[in-house]
Amino acid sequence: MSAPAIQRPAPTTAAPRRGRGPREASRVSVAVAVVFLVALAVYFLLPVYWLVVNSTKTQGDLVSSNGFWFAHFALLDNLKHLFTRDGGVFLRWALNSLLYAGLGAAVGTLLATMAGYGLAKYTFRGREALFSVILGGVLVPATALALPLFLLFARAHQTNTFWSVFLPSIVSPFGVYLSRIFAAASVPDEVVEAARIDGAGEMRIFFTIASRLMAPAMVTIFLFQFVAIWNNFLLPRVMLSDQQLYPLTFGLYSWQTQIARDPALQTLVIVGSLVSVLPLIIVFLSLQRFWQSGLSAGSIK
Amino acid sequence: MKSTDRPGRGRQRAVALLLALPLVATAACSSSGSESSSGSGGGSTAAASSCKPASGKVTLQFWTWVPGMQQVVDKWNAANPDIQVQVKETPAGNAGTYQNMFNALKANTAPDLGQVEYDSLASFRLQKGLKDISGCAGVNDAKAQFPDWTWSQVQMGGPGVYAIPQDIGPMALFYRKDIFDKAGLKPPATWDEYAKDAQVLKARGVYITHFPQQDANWFDGLLWQSGAKIFDISGSSVKVSLDGSDSTKVADYWQKLIDNKLVATNLQGFSPDLYKAWDTGKVATWVSAAWGYSTIRDNAKSSAGKWAVAPMPQWQAGDNAAGNWGGSTTAVFGQSQHPAEAAKFALWLNTNPEALTLENSLGGLYPAAKAGADLPALTKGVPFYGGQKVFDVFKQASSQVDTNFQWGPVMTDTNRFLSDGFTKALNGQGTLGEALKSAQTQTVSSLKSQGISAG
Amino acid sequence: MTATNTAAQQLTAGPEPTTPRTRRRNRTWLAFVLPFLVPFTLFYVVPIVYAIWQSLFKTQRTGGLFGESHQVFAGLEQYANVLGDDTFRQGVLRVLLFGVVQVPAMLLLALLIALVLDSAVARLRRFFRIAFFVPYGIPGVIAALMWAFLYSPQLSPVVDLLNKVGTAPDFLGANLILWSIANVVTWTYTGYNMLIIFSALQALPQEVYEAARVDGAGALRTAWSIKIPMVRPALVLTAVFSIIGTLQLFTEPVVFQAISTNVTSGYTPNMQAYAVAAANNYPFSAALSVMLALATFILSFGFLRLTQRRAAA
Repeated sequence: MSAPAIQRPAPTTAAPRRGRGPREASRVSVAVAVVFLVALAVYFLLPVYWLVVNSTKTQGDLVSSNGFWFAHFALLDNLKHLFTRDGGVFLRWALNSLLYAGLGAAVGTLLATMAGYGLAKYTFRGREALFSVILGGVLVPATALALPLFLLFARAHQTNTFWSVFLPSIVSPFGVYLSRIFAAASVPDEVVEAARIDGAGEMRIFFTIASRLMAPAMVTIFLFQFVAIWNNFLLPRVMLSDQQLYPLTFGLYSWQTQIARDPALQTLVIVGSLVSVLPLIIVFLSLQRFWQSGLSAGSIK
Repeated sequence: MKSTDRPGRGRQRAVALLLALPLVATAACSSSGSESSSGSGGGSTAAASSCKPASGKVTLQFWTWVPGMQQVVDKWNAANPDIQVQVKETPAGNAGTYQNMFNALKANTAPDLGQVEYDSLASFRLQKGLKDISGCAGVNDAKAQFPDWTWSQVQMGGPGVYAIPQDIGPMALFYRKDIFDKAGLKPPATWDEYAKDAQVLKARGVYITHFPQQDANWFDGLLWQSGAKIFDISGSSVKVSLDGSDSTKVADYWQKLIDNKLVATNLQGFSPDLYKAWDTGKVATWVSAAWGYSTIRDNAKSSAGKWAVAPMPQWQAGDNAAGNWGGSTTAVFGQSQHPAEAAKFALWLNTNPEALTLENSLGGLYPAAKAGADLPALTKGVPFYGGQKVFDVFKQASSQVDTNFQWGPVMTDTNRFLSDGFTKALNGQGTLGEALKSAQTQTVSSLKSQGISAG
Repeated sequence: MTATNTAAQQLTAGPEPTTPRTRRRNRTWLAFVLPFLVPFTLFYVVPIVYAIWQSLFKTQRTGGLFGESHQVFAGLEQYANVLGDDTFRQGVLRVLLFGVVQVPAMLLLALLIALVLDSAVARLRRFFRIAFFVPYGIPGVIAALMWAFLYSPQLSPVVDLLNKVGTAPDFLGANLILWSIANVVTWTYTGYNMLIIFSALQALPQEVYEAARVDGAGALRTAWSIKIPMVRPALVLTAVFSIIGTLQLFTEPVVFQAISTNVTSGYTPNMQAYAVAAANNYPFSAALSVMLALATFILSFGFLRLTQRRAAA
């Protein structure tokens, strides 16, 4: 690892080195490697395959037919029920999830990037202490936050509102950490200084120059914040009582809890899971080249 | 979450973090200072005199998880332009809705009305969640329309009335008639016979039933039938007798079935696995409530026509005691500004024949109101059960439920402790009797943590 | 070398010092940091302080059973209760056992995949990378629901298959349930951890390998003595996140409660905190959460210190 590389990494992904592997590895070891990888691919994709197959089944076939093969093809029926059940509430949940996760991650990324940039490019008394407090936020368990948050929102009479789930979601301590390091490494002081000499204001420098250089970090923070909010279970469970405000995952879970009363919901939970998982996978795949570069700095689990 | 190459800096950071906390603590204290007054709308017990109808139009909030309740309420709203009810459909009580209700009570944002199961009424009352509606017009007069035991449940051993009974779950024995016939068995009249039948069935590779680890309130229903009085909340302190002689008799009985491997111990209640076991005839009976008829019908479809219902087995031959499992009430929450209108709606919802019919057909409810038992849907034969008039059995059972059974005020905890104890018994690391004992001590300490004197 | 890989390495190198030239702009930093700091204070710091505050109280009641309740100051009594609570102790031991086995197993698997992907079969790399990463995009609730079906003794095609070959283990039984949960967690996060390690590997400078080849080092040798030491920061990072995740275990066991008879209400400390709060015992629940946060701090810092000392030695 060379010093200049730390100071000034390229803001885009380094292309994977090609050609080295095959030259090193013998045919046998390649075969072993492929078998190993294929076996693991089966392991990682099997449940997804199960989800796809069982989304096409009727409630009865779900229990009585082979779980790994198709029975009577009822996918279209299931989809129709999914989107019409309870006055189309599933679409509402999807929209909510998009707002909570999409807007929340966008705002969260902006705040985190600004803060990270500020911490990297300006010195002030107490900077390290402040940074430590922010990092401490990464370690706080979700229950430790969710319940007191609820009680605090309750005092402000703001529980069971869009904001009660949205606002706590925009805070990403890890995003600050990531963008601080990224800003320090990828936004050269000379560039900032030159812009100042040209008479640009501090905010303008950030939005026109620094943010562009920090783009890979921002995409990474956005994506992982998006997933974290999309998957969030505890906060909506504590805050929301109005079905119309649920995000997708919690909506599906609420259906799951009602299966004893209404078994038809079982197929809806399965097909609903498929429908809600697909966009996430597609977003990830299509943005792969962006987040891959930002990934090695890690993210929220 | 961060480290440096210089030793000691990590510690400095941690110290800095701790130092920063008191600063914000000052800010937080001011907002939490009023905590000591426990923030709920007081005066809920003094409601009897204050139940006057409002003048003008009133809108009521109502939380429920009965499927199709909106359609029932639409009928009410059409006929009562001055008392409009807004329904909010929620997940089932123990699936998070009770938590939300308690939270809302704390936050002063609770609805006017909510669905609350019988075993949770005392918990809500403890948190100042329920209004005494005995002073509201028509409430005391409604007593005659409900079975005595349901009314004593909503009175909780005192003169007040804290909810209107909605539906009930009198218990009976669902059994696979085809399997019993083939084995030359008749439905067991006593628990002794039940245990003997279990052995016969086991020899044929069939479990007589499953022991559901999470359904502590199923076990409560068995205790209820045995005559056990697990709680007494009539006085100023709570008497807990979970491990009394009647309860222990029930626990020991089921422990023996578990020990002799006569019941399935790896099937959770209401799980797809259980349904499959019913469907394929690996599990042959279910001691369950009236509402259970649809659970079997909808989840073990291919066993249609093979099931029948018989009265619950008895501890003594010739007895006729039944337990109750589940069922809900419509409660008026403590913070409601319109108890008179709320009570009026709750009465209509649970006594009006049209409402009861809809609730039964859409929500599968077995109504608490006596008149409900005479609904057309509940007096004819049910095809899934070979045309048997199964609801006659449940109507009979309802009349045999013990009137004096009381729930404790921390039932969520009590049932949790029981379930945790069941896990050990099912694993062979303990017994059901020990589960009762441990639930006893843990419940007492849970009550004490709520500032209640108990023993 | 990618910028972000640098970030991972910086984990152990401390933040970049700013040049003196930027130091003169005094208050500008506030404009950048404040928009984050306000929600951070409101939605992170204040709730934690509030939880600590709450944990110092207990409930008392006047006027009989259904009388008025009051919160009175109780000092550290709730913490004594937590420490003396059997369920809490068992829950902590359980997640520790879980972590000691699951975290190294998952990271080892992730490292192994990353090394194999880095050294061989360049052409299929892209496909495998995506295949392994898909589970991360699946919400925990849904992942647990899917696996619940695959574990089910009556419904699972996997169990069917195993029964045909021999006897299928009881995935939901008392002996295996913890490891069945561990499998779901491993399934979800291995690909994610693998990608972090893989990205670090991809960013290693080419010259190192050239040097190794000149020295006549084989693939295994190169992996062991060059690659693994150089992706150490990435491994430390993934380990810390896994430790945090382990202590917060919640969603998967909650979902499994519905199908297994072996998941108790206090199976993990997080579940216990939630159950206790659901029974309206907020002070006890708050004390539990604070203890859990404290344990997370101690373990993660402890782990970092340990790895630093090793690195220094």
